[in-house]
Amino acid sequence: MAARKTEQPKDRHVLIAVDQTENSKRAVLYVADFLGGNPGFRATLLSVVPKPEEDLFENEEERSAWAKEKVTAANALLNRYREVLIHSGFPEDKVQIRSCVGEDKSLSEIILEYQCEMSCCTVVVGRHHKSKAEEFLFGSTSSQLVHRAENCAVWVVE
Amino acid sequence: MGERSLASPAVLTEKELLRMIRRRVPPERVPRRVTIKETADFFRVDYDDVVVLDDVPYFVRNNEREGRFGLEDEQKFWVKRAINLLTGKVVILKWVFRERFNARIGGLVFECARSPRKEARILELVRGRPDFMQGETVLDSAGNPLRVLDYIRGKTLSEITVGIGSSHEEFFFSFYASLLEEFIGALEAIKFLHESGEKHGDIRRDHLIKDHSTGRYRWIDFDYTYSHGESRFGYDLFGLGNVLLFITGRGDVTTNRLLKENPDALERIAKDDLNIVFHNRVTNLQKIYPYIPDALNRVLMHFSLGAGVYYEHTRELIEDLGEARERLDDRVFV
Repeated sequence: MAARKTEQPKDRHVLIAVDQTENSKRAVLYVADFLGGNPGFRATLLSVVPKPEEDLFENEEERSAWAKEKVTAANALLNRYREVLIHSGFPEDKVQIRSCVGEDKSLSEIILEYQCEMSCCTVVVGRHHKSKAEEFLFGSTSSQLVHRAENCAVWVVE
Repeated sequence: MGERSLASPAVLTEKELLRMIRRRVPPERVPRRVTIKETADFFRVDYDDVVVLDDVPYFVRNNEREGRFGLEDEQKFWVKRAINLLTGKVVILKWVFRERFNARIGGLVFECARSPRKEARILELVRGRPDFMQGETVLDSAGNPLRVLDYIRGKTLSEITVGIGSSHEEFFFSFYASLLEEFIGALEAIKFLHESGEKHGDIRRDHLIKDHSTGRYRWIDFDYTYSHGESRFGYDLFGLGNVLLFITGRGDVTTNRLLKENPDALERIAKDDLNIVFHNRVTNLQKIYPYIPDALNRVLMHFSLGAGVYYEHTRELIEDLGEARERLDDRVFV
């Protein structure tokens, strides 16, 4: 009698969007505590460097150098957070890192594009404690994610 | 004897320059001596000097002034009024330079820049539009770019607002509707900028001048930019909100002013009624002027500490103000 082929359940894919803040660190630690060691999950750590606006820089060289420096720092951070997740029990092959320099879009739009592209079921971000004035003037990525996300859950870690 | 050809103003003699100046200014304003100055350093170009740009001699008058960061009438040494000696037209000469700095408002610090590149781009974008300052870039003899901008004769929106009506009530019932209508027109201009992906960067009530020759408001000074976060146009919208509050209150209604002039009204003001950034300015103007209709006050309250939602696009503000404007008609004429 031929062995019945069993289909492996697909991992649930969690996208953790981080920056250099403590709030992001808390989000990573939360995922590590909550999901680390549990089978059936994979994670992608994403860092989006905001698009360096040309008007803020003297020339293209200065702008590229700024972006390069930020991406290098972002990758170093992503690698540290990857280690955190692996130590918490995520298999090495199930933690990916991605970094990019944003385009003419908001951070929330870029994060949701990655979520869609990688079919992530959950987006995790840290909550930045912004004042009302700050949120009014410069917006809030976590608020926008909560409002705009479709077909996925958004965890905003306090 | 006919006047010498003006094809080479760089070689104009002092006598010739003085003759040209006499045609453009009253006798008491004609200087005894005049010299052509190099434009490399704007600090070295003074009142009564002549500068030559693109073969056109300009007779330099005063530095322009602007109140900023609480300092009224701060001289802008890099912005000078001048008279084109060939045409007699008054222009603004603006030396362009780039600077990057941290701006502070209401305890918030954010990165800003004065960007010649941005100003040049927007001048190009708005060329021919009656709702923006017009101008062009010329190179001086050393190849440095300078702007020659139209001098807009007229009053700023703030000067107009505080100058009409003998009381707020009279102002509001007799003049406000048309002022709001004009302001909505000015918002359309900012909407055009935003939809073209550009920020104004420094929206203030004195950056909106009613052009005496066309009767239309024109935006000026768009060389600033700021580092935005999630909300690209949030800071511009904040500026628009401040202008709206100013025209609706016929000036800034501050807690200090209320304390002196209307302490009873101040008693009614709660924290949520204050401006979201400037906590000494009242946003809930209906509590001071009860005849301000709900629809209009609701728009104002988007800029208050109590706001739960904020405008992210000029279009949203225009839509709500359009509705408020219609209700204003109902109220005035019923």
